[in-house]
Amino acid sequence: MPPRLNLLTVPRTIVYRPKVAASSLRNGVLTRTSPLCRNYSDSPGADRSKDPSTQPLGGVTEEAATTADITGSKGPELEQGTPVEEIVKDDKEAQEKLPKVMQDSIKSSGPKGSRSFSTSAIRRDFHTEGLIQAEMPPPLATMPPGVKFGLPTLPVPADAHLKYRYDPAVKLFTNLIMEHGKLSVAQRNMALILTHLRTSPPPNISPLRPLLPGSPPPSHLPLNPTLYLTLAIDSIAPLLRIRSQKGAAGGGVALQIPVPLGLRQRRRIAVEWILAAATKRKNRGSGKGGFALRLAEEIISVVEGKSSVWDKRGMIHKQGVAARANLKLGIRR
Amino acid sequence: MPPSICLRRLSLAPSDLTAHAMASRSLLAYTQTTSFSHSASLSAKPGQGKPAGPARGERTLNLGKNKKVQRDMGKRPAPGERKALRKRVVLSNTNALVVEGLNDLTVSNIETGDMQGQVVGLSEPVIDQLRAVEAFKATQGWYLFRRPAMLMRKETAQLSALMGDVEAQKKTVRRILVGDRASGKSTLLLQGLAMAFMRKWVVINFPDAKDIVSAHTEYAPLPGSNPLQYTQNAYTANLLAQIAKANSAVLSTIVPSTDLRLPIPTTRKTTLADLAVLGSKNPELSWPIFNALWTELTQPGRPPIILAVDGLAHIMTPSAYLSAEAKPIHAHDLVVVRHFIDHLSGKSVLPNGGMVLAATSGSNQPASPALKFSVQLAEARAQGATDLPMWNPYELVDQRVMEVLTDVDTLKLHGLDKQDSRTIMEYYAASGMLRKQVDEPLVSHWWTLAGNGNIGELEKGSVKMRA
Repeated sequence: MPPRLNLLTVPRTIVYRPKVAASSLRNGVLTRTSPLCRNYSDSPGADRSKDPSTQPLGGVTEEAATTADITGSKGPELEQGTPVEEIVKDDKEAQEKLPKVMQDSIKSSGPKGSRSFSTSAIRRDFHTEGLIQAEMPPPLATMPPGVKFGLPTLPVPADAHLKYRYDPAVKLFTNLIMEHGKLSVAQRNMALILTHLRTSPPPNISPLRPLLPGSPPPSHLPLNPTLYLTLAIDSIAPLLRIRSQKGAAGGGVALQIPVPLGLRQRRRIAVEWILAAATKRKNRGSGKGGFALRLAEEIISVVEGKSSVWDKRGMIHKQGVAARANLKLGIRR
Repeated sequence: MPPSICLRRLSLAPSDLTAHAMASRSLLAYTQTTSFSHSASLSAKPGQGKPAGPARGERTLNLGKNKKVQRDMGKRPAPGERKALRKRVVLSNTNALVVEGLNDLTVSNIETGDMQGQVVGLSEPVIDQLRAVEAFKATQGWYLFRRPAMLMRKETAQLSALMGDVEAQKKTVRRILVGDRASGKSTLLLQGLAMAFMRKWVVINFPDAKDIVSAHTEYAPLPGSNPLQYTQNAYTANLLAQIAKANSAVLSTIVPSTDLRLPIPTTRKTTLADLAVLGSKNPELSWPIFNALWTELTQPGRPPIILAVDGLAHIMTPSAYLSAEAKPIHAHDLVVVRHFIDHLSGKSVLPNGGMVLAATSGSNQPASPALKFSVQLAEARAQGATDLPMWNPYELVDQRVMEVLTDVDTLKLHGLDKQDSRTIMEYYAASGMLRKQVDEPLVSHWWTLAGNGNIGELEKGSVKMRA
């Protein structure tokens, strides 16, 4: 017989949502947490969950087994797992730190008739009938009228907005190859570039010009041309630019000051370098897509480390290292 | 505007004069003019006056303020090389994934209709044959996938059923393929040709009607023709080469049964394939040889024939060729076009059965009001409408086109349904070209954006990454 007064029953319906992470609540507005720098590896295609570095460390048993494997002795059985009691059997210090339940069970090695803990199970579903799991999609019968494919899952993906529906790097590139405000022509050229990337053979990556760390193997690139393009841009994007401050060096000499760049600025400079290098290339075919073809070839040569853009990047970085002495990072008064 | 062709092309060589005794008087008059030039005779002699500047690639002293950057002066591409690059048809993408379980189209599964609503591949020999007749277009999306494959849609099944009827009843089926832009008309034509190749038919394909009438190949009046008609030897020779290459398996088994009366010696062992090759090697004999080949193919017991053209509107207008009176020649006065049109209109029939297919084009078509009206009329007739559309009697109409298309039926291509859209999108995803999970919302999204399943737009939207 269930108790008459049930303290666990909820008097009214409560919508249950898991707590939002504190960092994403900014000024009381729910914002999407995004890292400072959006790298290519943030794209949904790159799954790094399988990396060994991301795996959790093994337990005591696994550690003991590994040690035994190294020393050549016979370690504990991994298949079944070792009970905690067995591990702490000879360790008085560890036994003192065990939970009371286990301490009691070690002391009393046989049934005594009374337990210090409850063994009665509570039927949770009976008491939680008022809770609605907001995360679960509602069953079809309760779908609001006029909704055919269910309500959108929140948060809405970044590319679901009309004005941000294209990849940011691709959009930046498209806008930078646009001439005379002809966006449609630029988009056509962009499509030609991506098509060339996905139909040309995988690049041979030079070890002298390393791409961004963690980049996928070259055989994966043609099937993901957006990633291919983003990798090329991000790999050659300079970290800084050199600003010449007039007269700061004294005697009318300009002082070279390195200035760090944001992600969009870095990408913009990289794309401009690629455009300049592609313009100098020779046109092979005829017709409309000539420049797009040259651009695509330049992007491939960037990834292969053959492009002159790498020298440009190296030069800027060298200048930046030389000019860092000009930075004044002291306390401002 | 000056004529786009040289009038001297009309002049005949003196050796031809004897052979063409029946040529009309105006043409004979033209043979008297041996040469003609627009350039003034008073123009300065070369080598006088100011030198024309340094030769290309030569270094010169430039003291000017704005020095121009020396452009690359390397080897220029050979004539035709750049156009070849532009017109290149690529049928394979080695980066694309191999689609598991993609079956080839065969005669047996065409006839049973098992492949209806599925994506099927094309076998190597058929691909070679289709390539030989230039059925693949550079604008189609073949270059994205591992190997050519296509969706067997409802219209394909209709075409296949018609082919079965042709084989059973030896009748001539005439259809104009119509539909929206990018609705798959050229691809349906290709499917028809592929099925004809597999059924061992003789395939004669005019890959682009624009090439026949754009005045890019030479032409000459056909002696003894009334009204005057014109042959295109280079075009016909090329056509014969394509016929010989694509149909060699069928034509090499047929030996002529009639007296061909050709001005070129043939042996008893000369097969029709040899005859076509002979015509392709001797352009001046290409039209008589084409006629002889046609006569042979229409003898009893020969295989059915499929005649196909893409871009029908181009041959329903005056061509870019000029007559001796400097008037445009109507496309129907070109013998190659005439031959096709006679079969399309039903004036000539294919005695062994066959099919005449003409695909219209949505993106490259000159205005042809008569064709447009005839298609509307045919569609109204097919729907059983009582009040058929009437031509506005106060407007001029190309009467020749109207007469030719009086009773031609159409085969209209509609958009794909959702199920077919899903099938083709799953193929895109399996090839690695569509990086999304193909589920109902995605299919519905692209189906709607593609104008209710227009397959070209579907491909453009979901695969071609226009961003």
